[in-house]
Amino acid sequence: MVEHNRSSNTVDVIEKELKQTKERFKPKAPPFPYVLSPMSILEYAHAQKLRLWSFILSLACVSWALLQIQMTLTNILKMGPLPEHVSFIMDGNRRYAKSLSLPVKSGHEAGAITLLNLLTVCRALGVKTVSAYAFSIENFNRPQEEVDTLTSLLAEKLDEVARRAQDCNSELFGLRLCVVGERSRISKELNDRISSVERMTSEGDSMMLYICFPYTSRNDIYHAIYDCAETAKYHGFPAAQIDESVLTNHMMLRENSNNCDLLVRTSGHTRLSDYMLWQVHQNGHVEFSSTLWPDYGFLEFFRVLLKWSFFTSVQRRRNSRRLLRLHTACHLKETLFPRAPKHVSIEDLPSPPQAISVADRS
Amino acid sequence: MSKIKERVLRAQDDECKTSHRDKQRVSVVTNATRKSGKPGVTDVKGAVGSVLLTPPDSEAVRRKLESQKGVLGKSSGKIEFIFYKILLCVLYMLYACARYTQYHYNRAKILILNLAYSPSNTPQLIRQDVLKLQKLPKRLAAIVEKKREGDVGGGVSGVLNDGSDLVAWTISAGIKHLALYDFDGHLKRNVDEFRKSVFHKLTKYYDPSNVPKFAIRIPQWNKVYFNAPGQEADDTTSKKVAIEISLLSNRDGRETIIELTRTMADLCAQNEMQLSDITMKLIDSELTQLVGHEPDLLLYFGPNLDLQGFPPWHIRLTEFYWEQDNDQVTYSVFIRGLKKYAACKINVGK
Repeated sequence: MVEHNRSSNTVDVIEKELKQTKERFKPKAPPFPYVLSPMSILEYAHAQKLRLWSFILSLACVSWALLQIQMTLTNILKMGPLPEHVSFIMDGNRRYAKSLSLPVKSGHEAGAITLLNLLTVCRALGVKTVSAYAFSIENFNRPQEEVDTLTSLLAEKLDEVARRAQDCNSELFGLRLCVVGERSRISKELNDRISSVERMTSEGDSMMLYICFPYTSRNDIYHAIYDCAETAKYHGFPAAQIDESVLTNHMMLRENSNNCDLLVRTSGHTRLSDYMLWQVHQNGHVEFSSTLWPDYGFLEFFRVLLKWSFFTSVQRRRNSRRLLRLHTACHLKETLFPRAPKHVSIEDLPSPPQAISVADRS
Repeated sequence: MSKIKERVLRAQDDECKTSHRDKQRVSVVTNATRKSGKPGVTDVKGAVGSVLLTPPDSEAVRRKLESQKGVLGKSSGKIEFIFYKILLCVLYMLYACARYTQYHYNRAKILILNLAYSPSNTPQLIRQDVLKLQKLPKRLAAIVEKKREGDVGGGVSGVLNDGSDLVAWTISAGIKHLALYDFDGHLKRNVDEFRKSVFHKLTKYYDPSNVPKFAIRIPQWNKVYFNAPGQEADDTTSKKVAIEISLLSNRDGRETIIELTRTMADLCAQNEMQLSDITMKLIDSELTQLVGHEPDLLLYFGPNLDLQGFPPWHIRLTEFYWEQDNDQVTYSVFIRGLKKYAACKINVGK
């Protein structure tokens, strides 16, 4: 009981923190404009408009209604085909922070909130696997301060997600968390923490979440090749039997390594940046969006999912040749109203008009 | 480690002899409709039919349906289920309408762009367009697709024509390396026709007595061809070429990586190679030798980005460009891709 109380207390604390972070992103009251310059008046008006909007959105009834709409839309989408593996490249946190002239750290925090929101949506939909590109091996080239911020943020958020995954009232209940990547590059302390979180959630079966932290796809492929060679050398696995599925199962995402149905990349760049190369290069749908990651909301994600779902239904229809309704209709039509065969013989045709040549007239 | 390369190439040769038919390609879902992303009435009907008649993917919904418990009583679960399904169909129809409008808007845009950018077989115009750009990609790659036999520009001759168009534009733009990828390897298999076709195209662009020299490399078979058949360069001085073209196909993708793994595993098992020898650098250099360098810009001439199994190791930082709802290999897409590349900023990790 005490244990339970404590965990619910931590959830409360986390919720409070979340609220505080959201509070920080609220637009502040702009300074009164310089009356003579039209530009500053326009800016003032724009800032006031943003404030008004955020005020309306923060009203309890409005946010309740929005939540209801979101739930209904999710319920609707649930009825159709669903992607098995959804992946996110979370790009644009720093630009977001810069555009609001906030420190880089709060940009990353806002990004984490967005990820949590989208995870909730995926969980509600019933998507089995979600992965997110949190940190690339190349990101170690960034200033040390930012790397530290990112690592500490990861540790914080991992705890939060783990708590939520264990709390049966939470939307994320039953989530299984896995941090994949070049784990030898991160500190031992953090590694232990990650391992304990992974152990905590290892029972979860409703959704699999892969956080790719220091990860690059080339590194992943390299490790898979290395492991294959190792099994061939030490475990006597015959080298000739190595095929696509063996290599794929040696990759970090294990059985989910083969395919990624939907990859979302934000902030307008049209490249993969060393992520999910193996998974996406055959027939994965890559959706590039020019929104910055913290701004990537439910509606945009919903549109992407609807597009995917629509085209998948079309494709499935095309692939399955046995659509019941059409078949029965055709069958009935043929048995009830048998059509006369349309064979025509040339003798049955009326005789053509007389042939007259111009050249022979003389 | 030339031993590895040799063995991989040999294995690939053997395999090529045994299996002539390639794998069937599964295209990306958004390219599934025949008329490239433009949903017709039959498509909508099909989608609606498949949604109404097939059970949903979501396990939770299925379980709920089996347990037959709704909010209001025994059968209300089913009513709720049907209600949501119908709503989904309505959403599909709305989406199809929106998509249809968007499709026509995009097509109109492409038409206008095609009018605006037309090279009309003059390299000077292409060079002028390129001179305005800040930077050019060092290596360019393009995915070409075989269209249906009956269509305009369809069949193998269509692929050859598209490929030679691209070669002519790339030479005129001043880019030295071009990789052409097509899933089934039509270009590779008809390499002599392709050489003739490129030569013919180049005579249209340039002075027929002094056509730019080109080399065609087929990494899979480790072969290099110079110029058109019958005009091969024999001495080393004339081997200086204006462009190097490599022809890739599906086999250079996953299969090469798997073959490389197999070879390395075999060498390790026979103690001809240490496990510690396998490094990222080695794999990278082997794959560079076996397939080629990573391109800087990848052009795709289809309606939605579909990588079609392009070698996965080689698209690490590659910039993609495609024009939504376009379905032809046109110069406007080519030049707009170069423009986009000139404007983009790549900071690896920073």
